[in-house]
Amino acid sequence: MSSETQQILTTDGIPLEVSLKKAERKNKLKAFLLVAPLLLFLIITYVFPIGDMLIRSVDDREVTNMLPKTFKAMKGWDGQDLPSEEVFEAFYFDMKLLIEERREGKLSTEMNFTKNGFKSILKKLRREMKKFDEGNYKEQIMAVHKRWTDVEYWRAIKARSPSFTNQKYLKGIDMYTNEKGEIVSVPEDRQIHRVLWLRTLEVAFFVTVFCFLMAYPIAHLLATLPMKYSNLLMICVLLPFWTSLLVRTASWMILLQQQGVVNDFFVTIGLVTDDNRPEMMYNKTGTYVAMTQILLPFMVLPLYSVMKTISPSLMRAGKSLGGTPFVAFWKVYFPLTIPGIGAGCLLVFILAIGYYITPALVGGASGTLISNQIAFHMKSTLDWSFASAMGLMLLTGVLAIYWIYNKLVGIDNIKLG
Amino acid sequence: MKKLSKLLLAISFAVSMATSAFAVTVVSWGGAYTESQKLGYGDPTAKALGIDINWVDYSGGLSEIKAQKEAGKITWDIIDVFAMDTITGCDEGLFVEFDFDKDFPAAPDGTPASKDFFTSMPSKCAVGNILYSWNYAYNVNNIKGTPKTIQDFFNTKKFPGKRAIYNGALTNLEIALAADGVKPGKGGANIYEALETEAGVERAMNKIKELCTDPKGGCVFWSAGAQPPELLVSGEVVMATGWNGRFFGAEVGEGAPIKQVWDAQGLDYEYFVLVKDGPNYANGNAMKALAMMTNTEMLAGSAKHIAYAPWRKSSLSIIEKNEPWYKDGKTNMLSQMPTAPANTKNYFLVDPIYWADNGTELGEKWEAMKAGL
Repeated sequence: MSSETQQILTTDGIPLEVSLKKAERKNKLKAFLLVAPLLLFLIITYVFPIGDMLIRSVDDREVTNMLPKTFKAMKGWDGQDLPSEEVFEAFYFDMKLLIEERREGKLSTEMNFTKNGFKSILKKLRREMKKFDEGNYKEQIMAVHKRWTDVEYWRAIKARSPSFTNQKYLKGIDMYTNEKGEIVSVPEDRQIHRVLWLRTLEVAFFVTVFCFLMAYPIAHLLATLPMKYSNLLMICVLLPFWTSLLVRTASWMILLQQQGVVNDFFVTIGLVTDDNRPEMMYNKTGTYVAMTQILLPFMVLPLYSVMKTISPSLMRAGKSLGGTPFVAFWKVYFPLTIPGIGAGCLLVFILAIGYYITPALVGGASGTLISNQIAFHMKSTLDWSFASAMGLMLLTGVLAIYWIYNKLVGIDNIKLG
Repeated sequence: MKKLSKLLLAISFAVSMATSAFAVTVVSWGGAYTESQKLGYGDPTAKALGIDINWVDYSGGLSEIKAQKEAGKITWDIIDVFAMDTITGCDEGLFVEFDFDKDFPAAPDGTPASKDFFTSMPSKCAVGNILYSWNYAYNVNNIKGTPKTIQDFFNTKKFPGKRAIYNGALTNLEIALAADGVKPGKGGANIYEALETEAGVERAMNKIKELCTDPKGGCVFWSAGAQPPELLVSGEVVMATGWNGRFFGAEVGEGAPIKQVWDAQGLDYEYFVLVKDGPNYANGNAMKALAMMTNTEMLAGSAKHIAYAPWRKSSLSIIEKNEPWYKDGKTNMLSQMPTAPANTKNYFLVDPIYWADNGTELGEKWEAMKAGL
């Protein structure tokens, strides 16, 4: 009771608290409306596509719905020997319906993702099926192509029966579920994804390290030089940034190849003999050099923006308190640049992890990275669900690194510019 | 004045939008190739039919058209694609299936369209456009002697130096087997028979591996078509596999010191496909333009600009009668064609069905092989 009597009222008799809340709500709504376009943009361009990718990577209902009878008949099949006549018959009728609806092509594409070789045998089956007699479908289907007598192909069909699947993710790390339901590695001569993941991480890591080592002195110079020199230096840093990626990559190829400008120079000054020119292109060295140069500005700029704010008097104070220049740098200056280092390293690493055109051109035998595979499945095989799965694995990796960074350094301790 | 120029800009934009809405959009690979298509048959067809033809570049693959279809807004009418893509796209229901002899005009001598092409189409959605070759070339200044056969490409004792090969299993496995002693047979049938078995694939991979790990040899992997001639001219490699049109362009067009070898060349094709429900599908303009662009005279026209062979046999006789056919007015084109009798003594036809079937798995094996180099 007493609280009601103490309530403060505004001039029009509404309690102040309510009135304030109302005004606040209005402001909040205004603020929300201001950011709404951005929010909408983020949802449309970011949240929605990632959600779509996630669904695509696990959703296998399309195939499940294409062969309903077959999958039902396969329930009792243990996957050891060839399935029984019942399964063949169900498969025949499923196929018949698919051909009538002209969807059998889609099935052949999908099945070919699970096991190579399906495309042609399904096409052949379509042609031959018109001539089939009633009954004894097992024999008739097996007579179409010898692959139909291979139990591996029937196992591949059974593997597609669940509506939702984790097979694409397993494939991304060179594993699959065998007929006994165990998760095992694929044959050795086809294991590439693990190699590519490690190689991608390795390249991204070393490019980040090289970028850091090169960018730190440059950024320091930029921050400490008088304006008229630092502006010129800044332009030198940014100029390559404005040049097309492919032009820069091609220039490195011309410079660094065995018969290239740099090697010619080495031979002219007698550093190496003509028939013993070092290989600096079409291997990892080429990848590191080209990518470091391309990504350098992303390291320089955050470092510069942080160093610019560090007062030069701090170093002087450190030295006047008895520290050697190195101690003063290490104890005073370096810790202050950590937000810039964090931002630069994260930026470069994340960009490097998704690179693929440059490594493909300059990297030679080691030029394939995981993003090349994603692009390959996006563009050539049209296995978008596998591409989505790998894309999400890459995204998860990046988020994990972000999380580790947050644990080690703290994400609010980052300065992007 | 400023207002007027703005108005004019707006009007010209509106006009261009309006006209491009009616133009038939043909999508191709760009560069000298699209130029040859545009000058050879695109512009003449547009003129004859009174339809605008709009050329758009892309980098291959079906992802764009699939995305257009999924989004429900198709903007492409005709696409220039690889054989494998005609199969995949046809299976996905992206392209129109043709009734071949009804949809495409017969040759001048009355031969029906389906008999005028070199081999049968890989799928019902494909109509031939050009034939090109995966052959190899060498830099005459950096090689002692004259490489003549595919064995010479792998012979690092006789011809030491690095080789440039395509960054993928496609055609590399075929030439490896051909060099290892498998006679291609009719259209390369023996090679593909061998590649159907695991042992055959392994044999081919080992041959490549041997070349790439040979201290006297070594490999540079190319991925863009412009790379092989450039790698040869700069002296980075002594021999390179590549596309014959690119080698021709460097050799004849620019006078580079390179020479092509046609032994065990892989004949491959480019096709046009008609997009189902494209903007000019319903009004029939896209089909009309496609039928005209792929007729005998039109196809011959593109060979004036580039050394790719027209798909129709009847086009070749037009070229033969009118030599020198190349745009410089002095180069005979027929002998530069992948289909010239002197060049087809030993060849294989790149088998799109084999690659559609096994492409992914072989791609994985190829990467695994490369990782072990």
